[in-house]
Amino acid sequence: MKRGLIAWDRTQLPPAVFEKRLARVRAALDERHLPVLLVYSDVWRSNQARFLTNFMPYWNRSLALIPADAPPVLLCALSPRVYPWIKSVTIFEDIRPASKLMQTVDQLCAERGWSRLGVLDLPRLPMEIHTGLRGREIVDVPSLGITDPDDPEFAMRRRAVLLARKALEDHLQSAIETGSVEIGQFERQLRRLGAEDLVIRVRSRGSGAYSISVALEYCGHWVKVVRPYGPADEVVVLERRFHAALASGDGYRENLAGPQPYEAGTGAIYALHVEHQGLFFGDTCAGSQPL
Amino acid sequence: MDLMAERNWDSILLYGHGWRKDYFRSLVNVNYSGPYAAAHLTRSGDLTAFVSDPWDRELIPGAADFTVTLPKASAIAGLELMEARLVHGVPVSATADIEELRRIKTPDEIECLKQAASLADRGYQHFVDVAHVGMKEYELVAEVEGFLKSNGAEDNFMLIASGGTEVVGMKPPTARALQSGDSITTELTPCINGYYAQICRTLVLGDPSPGQQEAFSIFSEAQQAAQDLIKPGIKASDAARAQNDVFRKYGYGDYTGSKYTRVRGHCLGLFPDETPHILEDVDYVIKENMVLIAHPNTYLPLSGYMVFGDSMLVTVTGNVRLNTTEKKLFVKDAA
Repeated sequence: MKRGLIAWDRTQLPPAVFEKRLARVRAALDERHLPVLLVYSDVWRSNQARFLTNFMPYWNRSLALIPADAPPVLLCALSPRVYPWIKSVTIFEDIRPASKLMQTVDQLCAERGWSRLGVLDLPRLPMEIHTGLRGREIVDVPSLGITDPDDPEFAMRRRAVLLARKALEDHLQSAIETGSVEIGQFERQLRRLGAEDLVIRVRSRGSGAYSISVALEYCGHWVKVVRPYGPADEVVVLERRFHAALASGDGYRENLAGPQPYEAGTGAIYALHVEHQGLFFGDTCAGSQPL
Repeated sequence: MDLMAERNWDSILLYGHGWRKDYFRSLVNVNYSGPYAAAHLTRSGDLTAFVSDPWDRELIPGAADFTVTLPKASAIAGLELMEARLVHGVPVSATADIEELRRIKTPDEIECLKQAASLADRGYQHFVDVAHVGMKEYELVAEVEGFLKSNGAEDNFMLIASGGTEVVGMKPPTARALQSGDSITTELTPCINGYYAQICRTLVLGDPSPGQQEAFSIFSEAQQAAQDLIKPGIKASDAARAQNDVFRKYGYGDYTGSKYTRVRGHCLGLFPDETPHILEDVDYVIKENMVLIAHPNTYLPLSGYMVFGDSMLVTVTGNVRLNTTEKKLFVKDAA
């Protein structure tokens, strides 16, 4: 579960940003003559719901329903006792308890007169939800064009990656000075800086050479940075390889738009890693540049 | 293998993703870090692991690449969580059967759970040691997370709340600064080698109010009622009722329902919130070598939300507490 600070700073990410993003959804619905779009999210797969509504579930799963002509509704298996908190960090005003998600979808469809449902990336729904939709008129609505990053998204990810890079480089310096890697202390430092969630991995090559990978979520925005600690000449080679791979399209790429941990693939914002003799260097990139 | 023969399944797939690693880890106990993993077992005993991250392939020598098409399986554990695009054919769900197998812990699993409970105890002591007036909730969680990771935790499930009678539940940490008189509640659930054990305690900064003291005495009596009762043969509903009856006895029966609380406990293992849940409408019969927590956590108008509970191993005649932390309302000087 996510156990870091989940916050919405409206000066960093004004509500108007979400109005523009919801307008993309409504255009897609209009194009397909659909009354509503269903967006699935859980603690692992929160990027899409976060992009559209700023909802980042710390646990459990939920469905966001975005009508063509009304404010979005959150169907949520979390207790109503946390709804005030959810409202404080998302655009949702209408949150409904839904321990049985599909039953609540049916109730809402009946209430609103919706006979057709658009589903964001239908083939990627969990089987339980996918099966539960059978018998209804369902239209797959691909996320392409709907959740493509906009300028505020790039700006937030840039904040996140600066935080991750600085902390990782400071930590490596400290590790060099003390001769040991203390992952617990590194995690403590990142969470005190406001990391909402973290995945830190260390891969040792032996003989005191290792790579540290940090996937960090800041206000819902995931980034990934990998830095090596080893002989200086090898680190120089790695950095060169990284920049060559950026230009050439080589290296191992992960799509940061999807669920974290990430799948291999590319996207507008992606993580690129390169390897040299068991050491790794990686960063979060957009286009052919580090973000 | 016995289950596969009994159900006439030719093969079974245990699926895992970033949130739910437990089905996969029940057969291949490796803490993978990629987005997906699966283990495919045939009736003849052939086992193939599929992982999706290059670093994971070094953890499981011989593992196949998850991005290739997964083999068809007669049954899938975790089918309900699996992305529809990944499911081939019409497999049946093995989720309930595998969960039932997992409920009875082996000696090795019990050892992991004991280690996790011990770390929960030490983690809670650290929580008490570092909490102070002015500290923000998320800073307190950061300190505890750092401690747990430094002491071998792979993961942790943790909820927190702070404040007074206005607090109705727990959630992730906020930027609220701790104040004198606060109840600070936490469910702390570190994971050792895949297995989660939990402790629930409440800390008061400064002198506890009469309401906080009275509330704690009710929580303590309720938790003890469950601890005295739990043994093989009783039902989860009995353990829930024993706790709720204490609240009813003191006139707080209204606070044992879903408006104010979730469950009166749950099983523990490879997932921090395993079923069966301890609820009055769950008639599952508790068995020897299950590990569970009984926690009467709820809101009371006396104190706001309060938590109290320990992990327990069900033995042949009763249960043993896996946590050793003192069963008390923790109090720390606010100065």
